[in-house]
Amino acid sequence: MHEMSIALEVCRMAEERLGTAGACGLVAVGVEVGTDAGVEPGSLAFCLEALLAEPPFAGAKPCIVRHPGDVLRLSYLEVADAGPDD
Amino acid sequence: MPVRTIDVRERVMARNDEIAARVRARLLAAGVPAFNLVSSPGAGKTLLLERTLAALGSELRIAVVTGDVQTQNDADRLARHTDRLVQAVVTHGACHLDARQVDTALEAIDLAATDLLFIENVGNLVCPAGWDLGEHAKIVLFSVTEGEDKPSKYPNMFRAARWAVFTKMDLLPHVPFSVERAAALAREVNPALEFLTTSAMRDEGLEDWFGFLRVQTRQRWFAA
Repeated sequence: MHEMSIALEVCRMAEERLGTAGACGLVAVGVEVGTDAGVEPGSLAFCLEALLAEPPFAGAKPCIVRHPGDVLRLSYLEVADAGPDD
Repeated sequence: MPVRTIDVRERVMARNDEIAARVRARLLAAGVPAFNLVSSPGAGKTLLLERTLAALGSELRIAVVTGDVQTQNDADRLARHTDRLVQAVVTHGACHLDARQVDTALEAIDLAATDLLFIENVGNLVCPAGWDLGEHAKIVLFSVTEGEDKPSKYPNMFRAARWAVFTKMDLLPHVPFSVERAAALAREVNPALEFLTTSAMRDEGLEDWFGFLRVQTRQRWFAA
C-alpha cells in the first residue's frame, strides 16, 4: 500500500539520521503531510506506528502535521541522548 | 534521559526523485523517450503494448519494463511479441513502481540500441501518480468500462499524465459511458491533457496511437 511505502521511506531516513546523530534512541518522528499530497494521514500514522514499534526504533511516536499544498516531508526527529550516568 | 530535536525538513520523496533524475538523464543522453503507462487494473495496458510490439517491433527498437504486484504474467505475454528482453519487476505487495526499480531494470537494457521505452506500471490510479520513475511522461489509460468520473475521483493521476488513451472503445455501445463527458472531467483537472481513443481488441484507433509513438520517437527527447 502507498502509505506503507512512504512509512518505510520515513523510517529509512530516520534510521540514517539516527546513525549520524549519536543518539541512543528515537522518541518521535514529525512528518508534514499536505492536503494535496495524495496521502491519507491516518493511514500513514497507522503504518508508522507499526514500523516504529520495532527495533531499532523501540516505540517512537509518529506526529503527523497537516499543511495546505502537496508537501510531504520528514520534518523533525526527537531523539534521546544518553544521560551522564548512562 | 535528555531529549533533543533534530530539524530534518527533507522531502520523503527526495531519494526516489534523485534516482529518477538520474534515470531521466540516462534516457535523455541516449535519446530514448520513456512513457510510464498507468491505469486502473484491467484497463488494457498489456494488450495495448502487445499490439504495439507486434505492429512496431520491426520498425522501432522497443524496450519494456513491467511492474506487477505478483507474477510476471504481463512480461511473459509481451515477450511473445518481441525478441528483446522484457524486464519484469515484481513488487511483492507494493502498489507502484519506484525509481530504484526502474534504475535497476535499465541495467539489463541496451539503451544505445533502443528507440522507445515503455514502463508498464502496477494497475492503480492512486499511488503511481506520486512516484517519478524518470519517465518523460505518464500516459493514463482510461477504459470505457470504468466510470466517467474517474478523473474527478483520482485527480492526481490525471493531473500527472500528459496524455490519456481511452481503451476498449469497441465496448462503448454496451456501456453507459460518454467519452465527451469523461474527457471534459479530465480536462477540469488537467486542461493540457490530450486524448487518443483505441480498441486494441478490434484494432481501432491503433494507427493514431502508432503515429503518436512514431512522432514521439522521432523527437528523441534529446537533452537541451
